[in-house]
Amino acid sequence: MQAMEARPGYDRRQFLKTAVAAGGTVALSACLEISDEQVPGGVGDPSSLPDRQHAWNDRVRSDEYGNVSLPRHQSLLYLALDRDGPPTDADRKVVGGALRTLDRAYERSNEGLIHSIAYSPAYFERFDEPLPASVDLPQPRRLSPFEEPQFDTQDALLHLASDRAEVILEAEAALQGEREQVNGVAVDVSITDALTVDDRRSGFVGPGMPADRQDVAGIPDTEPVPEAAPLFMGFEAGFRGNQATEDYVTIDSGPFAGGTTKHVSRLRQRLEDWYVEQDFEDRVTELFSPAHAAEGLVEGVGENLGSDSGLTPEMIENVREHAREFGRVGHAQKAARANRDEEGNVRLLRRHVESTDGDVAALHFPSLQQGISAFEEVRRAMNGTDLTDEPAIRQRVNNGILEYIFTTHRGNFLVPPRRHRVLPSPRPA
Amino acid sequence: MFRRQFLAGGSAIGAATIAGCGSLESRAIDVPPVLDDPPDAIYVPGHVEGMDLVGTETTGEYTVGLSYSYPHRFWTITGNERERTSIDETDSVHLMATVWDPETGLVLPDVGVSIEITQDGSLVSQETVYAMLSQPMGVHHGGNFTGLSDGETYAVRVAVGATASRPTGTFTGRFDEPATATFEFTFETSAMQAIRFERLDRAGERDALEGMSMDAVPTGVALAPEAIPGRTATTMADDIRYVASLVDPPAGVDGQESYLAVSPRTRYNGYSLSRMGLSATLEDDETVTDGQLTRTIDPDLGYHYGTTVPAVDSAELSITVDTPPQVARHEGYETAFFDVPTAKLSL
Ligand code: HEM
Repeated sequence: MQAMEARPGYDRRQFLKTAVAAGGTVALSACLEISDEQVPGGVGDPSSLPDRQHAWNDRVRSDEYGNVSLPRHQSLLYLALDRDGPPTDADRKVVGGALRTLDRAYERSNEGLIHSIAYSPAYFERFDEPLPASVDLPQPRRLSPFEEPQFDTQDALLHLASDRAEVILEAEAALQGEREQVNGVAVDVSITDALTVDDRRSGFVGPGMPADRQDVAGIPDTEPVPEAAPLFMGFEAGFRGNQATEDYVTIDSGPFAGGTTKHVSRLRQRLEDWYVEQDFEDRVTELFSPAHAAEGLVEGVGENLGSDSGLTPEMIENVREHAREFGRVGHAQKAARANRDEEGNVRLLRRHVESTDGDVAALHFPSLQQGISAFEEVRRAMNGTDLTDEPAIRQRVNNGILEYIFTTHRGNFLVPPRRHRVLPSPRPA
Repeated sequence: MFRRQFLAGGSAIGAATIAGCGSLESRAIDVPPVLDDPPDAIYVPGHVEGMDLVGTETTGEYTVGLSYSYPHRFWTITGNERERTSIDETDSVHLMATVWDPETGLVLPDVGVSIEITQDGSLVSQETVYAMLSQPMGVHHGGNFTGLSDGETYAVRVAVGATASRPTGTFTGRFDEPATATFEFTFETSAMQAIRFERLDRAGERDALEGMSMDAVPTGVALAPEAIPGRTATTMADDIRYVASLVDPPAGVDGQESYLAVSPRTRYNGYSLSRMGLSATLEDDETVTDGQLTRTIDPDLGYHYGTTVPAVDSAELSITVDTPPQVARHEGYETAFFDVPTAKLSL
């Protein structure tokens, strides 16, 4: 890792962006030297926090249309339990203590720190008893006929999110026993006394951030990413009308009622052809739908769209006609086919963020839903394999954005309600 | 093992010179320009390039052959639209992957292919590559890649996705899983310079360069009419030669008494034309069948477009191209197979 210093004239924002991606103590110590704003503190009694760990929406920024803006900096810590068999009371004491420290240290908001911990099917296999039927949590598997991802089967996934890079870094240091205090709160235990950080992945999202970080593998040298874009592909995503509500994705019965399931994939992005071969209209066609392009529905990065993507039931239904007429189909249009329940409710709550880990452009794609099957169905709809009998629609070409994205990892997790967030058994009381 | 043998005519003007830096800027000037007014047909391009084999590997249900050549210009096809992909000065190499069934040697033109290049575990490039058709190189998947340096060694991973054509006969249920073949490839400009590059003096003629004879890698030549079972007949429409046959329905196809298989191939080299939209009308006294054919891969019938039909004694068949082959074209094929008239034959 490169040592970083706070040089006079060195833009603080520029500095912090390198810092979260780099991670670790070198970045952190340098980082803390130059951060001067007060970070809001947490709660005295962590049990006073809401039961849903995945309830983020009312604790982060939203725009004038009610679209949620995710915290700009995020980190995913993939954790492995340091023993065979089920966790012990001692392990639980460590993990519970470490999470409570974060609750006390930081306001649960984008200004402070939002975190949630989730557990994999492999973790629950440590126990003799199986998960109840109310929890739909299969092992991760291949979800397209052309991908061969690695499966993340670590025990737990701790997700950290904040608008402040230094908060993520300091929280990570505290979790790993490198701090005696964190935002003025004493650190008694480190989570690494029970769990090992098997992998750390960093993410970011928000206008300006991808443009600032486009000097990585996967983005052409012409610096094509628009300044206003929150994502590398140059458009806004996650409109309120195209997202499930937190209520909707919440498990409603059984011991884990109040929790949710989380699929997290990592997709490498290769945007040479996206930006060089394709023009703006082609990009709108492939990301939204051919109708969006033909009718000029998307301006710029999509700032004109308001509270939904403009996808109508007709566009979703007519995907096959579009394939025939335009020789192409849109990503959102295809995915939407499986993303509504019988009453028309949206099924997935997508919370994806960009990444430049390893100097490679990638997307971390956490998606929340009542059960993992819902994600699998939507992903299969997005594959558009059923449309490839139309010869212009190939397995990956002219088929939404599949040409440019390469799934490298998949993992499935249960995000328990707060009351069971500490190394739960499959049937907690 | 791999003979670089060219039967095509043409006059050599000497090997092209290549800059020794992995880019081809100085060579680019030697590539003759695209013909101003090529015929709307298969034609002889202005030059011919050879290729070298990196290797072959069997993985999962597929055998993959990886070859390379100079970066190429080619044309991508979407519906009836053609768009040229020019050689970029940063392009290092054109990589070609051919995928076939190890048992029958049949090329599988309808799989999806992507290629990832890494060096010491770090990513150099990764692209979804296009199904392509080239006169000397036949049916393959290919693309130009940037970022390779002279003398360096890379891991090239060719990822094959399931086939989009229906597998029938003993192919039923096969080719539905992805698999990846990994090759070690040392990029050497001196080796690339040794690859044949010749200008041709009969550019624009209505003909095609012959396929390179490759012992190790099949070129996707369709089955000869004699090798196709059933009642067969042959006809031409522009540059497409059709072999149609009526056979018993192969395993994996539901229903009816008989099966119509139509195998289109290029006029001169007989390469399978894949990824088309074809429809057929079969009539005796009345219409027996009328509709879209399904892209199918079968060990006995080869790559074809098929549908079940009731038994007929003798019938008139017309074949219409609804969508031209959705394969990227190397020079000499880019203007062919559009606006093809309906073909008629008696079966
Ligand atoms: C680099 C990768 C991706 C980018 C840039 C991207 C971008 C977008 C955009 C711009 C939209 C339309 C606006 C919106 O509704 O949010 C959209 C919709 C959507 N995307 Fe993606 N997406 C990506 C990957 C994925 C993946 C891997 C999935 C997995 C299933 C997915 C599922 C969806 C769904 C379900 C919708 C909403 C469709 C509806 O209205 O129901 N996306 N995406």
